[in-house]
Amino acid sequence: MDVQKAAEDVHRRTLATIPRALDRFIYLASTRDYNTGMYFHDGLAARFSAEVACEALADCHQEAYRQLLLCPVRELVSQMEAYIQSSHTRPRDFIAAWRELEPYRVAIPVRTDPFSAEFLFSNFRIALAILEERLVNSRRSLRVA
Amino acid sequence: MIELVLFFALGVIFLILLYALTRRTDVRAEGGAEALLEARQALDSLQNGLLPATLVERIFAQEDLDFVSSSCSREVRVLFLRERKRMALSWVAQVRVRVLRLWQFYSGHSRRYARLDLRTEFSLALHFASLLIACRILQALFYLRGPYAAPGIVARAIGAAGNVCVMSERSLSFLSHVNAFRPESAGNSAET
Repeated sequence: MDVQKAAEDVHRRTLATIPRALDRFIYLASTRDYNTGMYFHDGLAARFSAEVACEALADCHQEAYRQLLLCPVRELVSQMEAYIQSSHTRPRDFIAAWRELEPYRVAIPVRTDPFSAEFLFSNFRIALAILEERLVNSRRSLRVA
Repeated sequence: MIELVLFFALGVIFLILLYALTRRTDVRAEGGAEALLEARQALDSLQNGLLPATLVERIFAQEDLDFVSSSCSREVRVLFLRERKRMALSWVAQVRVRVLRLWQFYSGHSRRYARLDLRTEFSLALHFASLLIACRILQALFYLRGPYAAPGIVARAIGAAGNVCVMSERSLSFLSHVNAFRPESAGNSAET
């Protein structure tokens, strides 16, 4: 019950200001300690408890992951475009980094079904190829202009 | 005196039989528990990982192919089809492995735990067989003609797998507490 209340709190105070599933997914993954797999959020832990906060964040992370997993490719591409813009990174650098480092691999929740995770990674690879192509095309059209 | 010796001998024989019986039961329970756990994991993986309609619809969504075909170059389309083909082949292979594991459990261990009547056993065997055949057909079709070749057979295979899951769930329902003890399946390492 507390976990549910804490999850609602996360939704109301934090996730409501993050409109895209991709951003929520990355944000929630960033609240997790890579060494222990535990999620941390000081404010939430103060209002509930560290354990409840951890479980609530894990639930929210799982939810964002499911939303992203079920995104059509078109929507994933537009979410990634918006994410690049909001991160103030040059699109070329972003695409190169995501291609080489595949940071999304460490961002998935624990106890995720391996097949669904691989499907999401596959969609990321496709979306990156589409974004790269759009980038090349926009440069070409700028040169022509 | 003779009676006493006879009673003593009978007692010893009885004890030896009892000991043998206990040991035999122990061995069975251990092997059976492992098989039960594997069957439960295979069932969970099918129900929660591989067969949810939303995920399967996403893998074979025509919408994605239409989007890529209409707005991307030939290279991206080739990449998209290659990725989808890989995922479709991986999906059907994993469904088949889980179904085989469930079948092995039924054919080897189920009679000890679930009292299935002859009709249910026959129906279950029929479902397993049709599902495994459908998986093989799908594998061949995906391999030769790509992931969008057989939407009808995909739907039928999902239906048959769903039936197998429902039947397995019924006979494994007493095992729901096993989930609490099973090793964490995936973690962050995705199978390829």
